[in-house]
Amino acid sequence: MRPVVSAAAEAGGAVLAVDEAPNPWIDPSYVTENWDTILRYLGEHIRLTLGAVVLGALIALPLALLARRNRVVAGPVLAVSTIVYTIPSLAMFAFIFPFTGLSATTVLIGLVAYSLVILVRNFLTGLQGVPADVREAARGMGYGPVRLFWQIDLPLALPAFMTGLRIATVSTVALVTVGVLVGHGGLGQLIYGGFNANFYRAEIVTGSVGCVLLALLADVLLAGAERLVTPWARAVRP
Amino acid sequence: MRARIRFIAPLVLALAVTTACGESGSSGTGGGEETDAAASGAACAPVEGEQLVVLEDDQGLQNADNIIPAVHAATAEAQPALLPALNAVSAALTTEELIGLNAAVDLERQSAEDVAAAWVEENGVTEGLEQGSGPIVVGAADFSENVILANIYAGVLNAAGFTATVTEAGSRNLYLEALKAGQQIQVVPEYLATVTEFIEADDANPVASGDVDETLAALEPLATAAGLAFGEPSEAADQNAFAVTQAFADELGVATLSELAEACGDGSLVLGGPPECPTRPFCQLGLEEAYGMEFESFRELDAGGPLTKAAIQQGEVSIGLVFSSDAALAQN
Repeated sequence: MRPVVSAAAEAGGAVLAVDEAPNPWIDPSYVTENWDTILRYLGEHIRLTLGAVVLGALIALPLALLARRNRVVAGPVLAVSTIVYTIPSLAMFAFIFPFTGLSATTVLIGLVAYSLVILVRNFLTGLQGVPADVREAARGMGYGPVRLFWQIDLPLALPAFMTGLRIATVSTVALVTVGVLVGHGGLGQLIYGGFNANFYRAEIVTGSVGCVLLALLADVLLAGAERLVTPWARAVRP
Repeated sequence: MRARIRFIAPLVLALAVTTACGESGSSGTGGGEETDAAASGAACAPVEGEQLVVLEDDQGLQNADNIIPAVHAATAEAQPALLPALNAVSAALTTEELIGLNAAVDLERQSAEDVAAAWVEENGVTEGLEQGSGPIVVGAADFSENVILANIYAGVLNAAGFTATVTEAGSRNLYLEALKAGQQIQVVPEYLATVTEFIEADDANPVASGDVDETLAALEPLATAAGLAFGEPSEAADQNAFAVTQAFADELGVATLSELAEACGDGSLVLGGPPECPTRPFCQLGLEEAYGMEFESFRELDAGGPLTKAAIQQGEVSIGLVFSSDAALAQN
């Protein structure tokens, strides 16, 4: 097949035999022409990030509660989550791969594991920051463990919880891209695909800028949510 | 005192910069002089030119990395129409066409899906295919050529009655495991020698060679043991190759590496390739041993990437290591 000769070779000044299309860093036409593909990857990126942070939080909270209650447990829980974090992501996916194969689940499990180190630490810090005398007083007033958590621990630890969620979310948005190893890297597919298609700059930039914008947007949304759920923190102090 | 220091610091810096420039510059001209000095037979000094051509590897130095369909064995058995459809692609595809397909995607920035669909339509590979049915997932490795090939496979399989889709499958060490399991992907476009060595897994025991038939014979028992089935290899190959500028080849009248070795007996060739090239049998070592070439010097570049291609075109090296299906080899 003879490649169709494009008329745009004079712009690049490249010295290749086939007329090379210009390769600008920013190319709006790339975004419009590939909008469906970009949306598909963006959707996967958001699903993986949300899934990882929500699952991570659901796992981290009981671990943090357990670690606060029992000092003997705290050491190993923090140590294990930190050790997991040090596993290189490439190796991590290779470990999970035999069980879940080339699926988004492989990436999700890895991301949840990485989110734990941030979430457990921040959750534990938040819980430890709840003044012991306040809990003591609540218990004296007849608060059971569930009410104690919802009405005393959670409101007081919420700023630390939200900080943990924000850091974990931003870090997960970046980490999703490593999923290209199993073909589920969200916007990372664009970044890596661009590198392996003779350095297609528009594709690389679209993936990268998409990641950055997604991380910023998620952080702003969570910051807004934090303000909403902690109205007392905004109160003007004399 | 302060003023003096402020004055001296930039001066020292400027001096350092000019010295550094002087050094690299002089080494450059030094190389040039040497090639000129050997002018009695310096016919093989680099020649600038836009068009790159590959010199034929007539001694079979490089492994035969022909395109070959890799299929989950049980699926191939259950679907007798599957391999014949993929073999139709192998039969129709040539390296020149593969270069053209890569150029359309890597240089002209068309989408791999469109380029693949156009090729399937133009080449009539869908005519008279045995009909099958059922869903087939074609895995595509993470580089553009493989994505094009996966889309071609899917197009042909759809024409053969299957419901074929393409999915990104990442890197070989993972997707080949998935292919053996056959649950998530059933077909992958592979490269004969590379996949043979990969399945064989023992680096110390090379089983692939430059001979397609021998490599295929070595692959078959390995594939059966791994639960994989392979179709017929295509003439099209993406393997290590040595490229020169068209101008250089025309000037010397060479088309093969043997002819080049004969024409350049004076050792005025400048070779460009990846840093490990001088010690690798497929690179400088092989050129010296199999072809008896002598090199004036070796330039450390990249493995068939933009550095190497630019260095050949700009006349910095006479010959460089490239990949045989690289888009830059497309002829105008």
